[in-house]
Amino acid sequence: MSKSDDMPRGAAERGPGAGSDSPGKMEAVPHDLTSRPRAGSGRRAFLGGVALGAAALGAARPARAADRTEISFASAKFFGKETVAQVVEMYNSSQGRVHVSYDELPPPSDSTAVHQLLVQQLARRNGSPDVFTQDVIWIAEFAGAGWALALDDEFGAEVRKDYFPGVGAACTWGGKLTALPWFIDSGMLYYRTDLLGAAKVPETWEELVKIAEAAQKSGGARFGFLWQGKQAEVLVCDLVSFITGNGGAILGPDGKTVLLDEEKTVAAVEFMRDTITGTKISPQDVLSWDEEPSRRPFTGGQAAFLRNWSYVYTIAQDPKVSSVVGKVGVAPLPHFAGGQSSACLGGYQYGVNASTKKREAALDFVHWMSSPATQLHFATELGLAPTRAAVFDEPALAKSQPFMQTLKPVFVGATPRPVTPKYAQVTLVLQSAVSRALAEGNVKQALSGAKERIATIVGS
Amino acid sequence: MSRVAAAGGAITRAPPAFAIIRTRRIDWPPLLLLLPTAISLGSVCVYPILGGLWLSLHNTMLATRENRFVGWLNYRTLAADPDFWSAWRHTLEFTAVSTLAETVIGLGMALLLVEWFHGRGLVRAAMLIPWAMPTVVTSKMFGWLFDGQNGLVNWMLRSLHLIGGNIDWYGSPNTALGTIVIADVWKTTPFMALLLLAGLQTIPGSLLEAARIDGAGAWQAFWRVRLPMLTPILLIAAMFRALDAFRIFDLVYVLTGGGPADSTEVLSTLTYKTLFSALEFGYGSALATAMFATEAAIALCFGILIAQSLRRQER
Amino acid sequence: MVAGLGLRRSGRRNAFFFAGAAAIVLWSAGPFLWQLSTSFQLDRALVSPTPSLIPHPFILQHYLNIFSVKHFQFYVLNSCIVAAATTLLCLGLGAAAAYALARLKLRRRFGLLGLILSVSMFPQIAIVGPLYLLASSLGLLDTYLVLVIIYLALGLPLVIWVLFGYFQTIPEELDEAARIDGAGPLRILLLVIVPLSVPCLVTTGLIAFIAAWNEFMFALAMTSTIAHQTVPVGIANFTNLYYVPWGDIAAASVVVTLPLVLLVLFFQRRIIEGLTQGAVKE
Repeated sequence: MSKSDDMPRGAAERGPGAGSDSPGKMEAVPHDLTSRPRAGSGRRAFLGGVALGAAALGAARPARAADRTEISFASAKFFGKETVAQVVEMYNSSQGRVHVSYDELPPPSDSTAVHQLLVQQLARRNGSPDVFTQDVIWIAEFAGAGWALALDDEFGAEVRKDYFPGVGAACTWGGKLTALPWFIDSGMLYYRTDLLGAAKVPETWEELVKIAEAAQKSGGARFGFLWQGKQAEVLVCDLVSFITGNGGAILGPDGKTVLLDEEKTVAAVEFMRDTITGTKISPQDVLSWDEEPSRRPFTGGQAAFLRNWSYVYTIAQDPKVSSVVGKVGVAPLPHFAGGQSSACLGGYQYGVNASTKKREAALDFVHWMSSPATQLHFATELGLAPTRAAVFDEPALAKSQPFMQTLKPVFVGATPRPVTPKYAQVTLVLQSAVSRALAEGNVKQALSGAKERIATIVGS
Repeated sequence: MSRVAAAGGAITRAPPAFAIIRTRRIDWPPLLLLLPTAISLGSVCVYPILGGLWLSLHNTMLATRENRFVGWLNYRTLAADPDFWSAWRHTLEFTAVSTLAETVIGLGMALLLVEWFHGRGLVRAAMLIPWAMPTVVTSKMFGWLFDGQNGLVNWMLRSLHLIGGNIDWYGSPNTALGTIVIADVWKTTPFMALLLLAGLQTIPGSLLEAARIDGAGAWQAFWRVRLPMLTPILLIAAMFRALDAFRIFDLVYVLTGGGPADSTEVLSTLTYKTLFSALEFGYGSALATAMFATEAAIALCFGILIAQSLRRQER
Repeated sequence: MVAGLGLRRSGRRNAFFFAGAAAIVLWSAGPFLWQLSTSFQLDRALVSPTPSLIPHPFILQHYLNIFSVKHFQFYVLNSCIVAAATTLLCLGLGAAAAYALARLKLRRRFGLLGLILSVSMFPQIAIVGPLYLLASSLGLLDTYLVLVIIYLALGLPLVIWVLFGYFQTIPEELDEAARIDGAGPLRILLLVIVPLSVPCLVTTGLIAFIAAWNEFMFALAMTSTIAHQTVPVGIANFTNLYYVPWGDIAAASVVVTLPLVLLVLFFQRRIIEGLTQGAVKE
């Protein structure tokens, strides 16, 4: 059934912008799909479900489109005005060689479930799904397990040139490009323009503490600064930006040296604890808060500063949810004196199954999905920020997502979390140790303990 | 002795059930009636459970592609793993406290709701609300209600002047597990109350009446008639509750993620993280098997008690 | 604890019951009332310094939203089908098994009961994975069937144990009498045992129903389209990236909780009270 061998390889039309790398031709995007019933509802095309059942079976598929190469695509659920399923259908109707059946995984809020389902499918090494999407922290793990196809032959130096530097680095494992960026997100600083007064937007943590304390004293805000300290992945995201903002690191560039008990790292974690127990600009509750619990007091007008992802901005501007409409600004996260602002890189990437039996078709699909035009479409219709820096300058983006365009400088400084195939184990140790350090106070001891455990994990 | 009141005039003292069976030939194979159940349980549970046991003897780790038979190595690692024992203790504490609280509160509710009073139907329906609400909602809802800053519980306690400042329910290692117990008790007490209520309702009124004529007060009637008759179903309900509480996952995962400082890490969350975050399938399966073994021990204790109480009742 | 007899028809009794009933209602329904109120409020009211139960402004936006934008009715329908099928099968298979066990020799039956129970002892998080692969290779992913099969197995142990406990107390002579009349085991079960056990069947049925109705982990893994996803997955799907639309979730939980509560109200009046009139004379 596979026609991969004789499929025309000439990367003829890639992306709805008809092969051009200029994303300016968005008019070419077929919009016939918007007439689909319940468009934008997150409801997936029913046919997709049937095809999924067949694809999962790995058995004979329905005879429709028999002249097309059938591939499967598994991704976490994202939606905005449109759904991922609709974008996949755009690809299907844009060409006649490949047909993609889409397998929708749970939403990224159930990220561990997405991870689990992907791992279970990939571990069978039977080529299904042919293409998948992955959180930035799984890339090294999937590559290390040999599940992700190296894409260097297809996407050479171009990738590192066109994409944000942090993303390019995160997609590389063992010197090979094993993932292709889809959309980007990163941690950033939200501030209340009305509480800033005469002060300028803080660039260092020291400045932030001063402004936050002043806002608390004057009664303008109950809380100075909110962040996320729940014993979960988000704690590591916060941790990375504090540590890198002080010039420290968790792992050395070799991925084996653990730098967790270096002076700069310890100082950064001491600072995190100090926001709770010393300067008291953060309530102790941050130790159990993840994204949403920390977001609510901020949009409720109770806090001066918040660290969070880009999703907060739209909510802060929605009068139904927010009491601070028009009073919120966004900036790169502060750094420590002598350090550099750094934000924790988030977002999802494409990957091609190393066991795929339809390599050519899969690559064609990934080319289309990662093209500038498709990225622009994801940005305007699903609100997913492009990973290609150039797409941020598109007039269409400025028109429909003006806020997203202003984030470009934030994304430029996004830093990946430690890149190691053992990341999943490393992060569990980090979460436990840093939570302990923050709750109980013995930072140096907790980090040294974690250092030893992580060294055993990455060293072996 | 029969508890079936609805049998009308047929309430007589039943001869011990198995005396009959021992003396007479069974002329139909009861195993045939068990067959559908055997198929159902076998197809869904036997394969994964045996697979898990087998996997726990390997060092299967997807990230490193290791997959060797290592015998008891995982169990030896487990016995020396402080994280495991800490989670094991948290889980047992949680199970004991929440099962006990649910049994006592559930029994109280059932005793109240078995009596007739105006509006009883409404109260019975209201009692079931916590259990009928979707779990995905209640776990998030408890995050809200017990939020340390804007939570309704702190607000009410402050309004009633029971506390001076806010309590940081989930953010402090001292209170986090206790708060999760409260959430679990709220959510699952109706399960106990419902089963106990059904049990209470089948106690013949004539027995209570007889106790009353003998001059027993309500308190004595409870201890002498109701509780002994209720014991088997009480133990069965408590056993299922304990087995379920031991596998607590959602509440912990949503509310605290196991923190702060691992103070709420239970076996399910530890196993889940090991299996599906760290992808250590071998060691994760050993953890799962250890859970299974602990649960089997709990079930065995209950099983013995249940068998005793049934035997006592049949006498 | 002082419930009942001694205090009958006294003023103290009424006061006692009133206090007890009020406590139960407050404890059980309090958080639900808060959800109800939240479902009519704007999300930003949630962090106001003085919470109010009376919505102001009062809005229906959340209800409109879940039905017209999020198609919540599909999830509800899926849940109804899965939970109803699970309940009926659980009761049918469970009653048959419990009856067989209640009439077996003691030693053997506790062995079998223990075996059945062992299913409830293995951590569910550990069986999701293998079952997902099994369902995938059988082509059962994203079907009602796979959910019913799993929920049936998860629900059966409880149903069997509880029914077993009750069947134990049904006098053996009733079986005997029917057997002498020439009835087979299945007929005895259907015509003698089941009619006597309706209150218990309703209770265990309710438990099986709600368990299937609320199950999340398996539903999340096994289904992937709105054609088969159940209510809990539907509610989880409300979350976009990290944002939890709390008003919508509150509305959804009211929508799925109220009918269940009304169902209970209806059942407990019609069946439980009717059948136990002889037992609890008041």
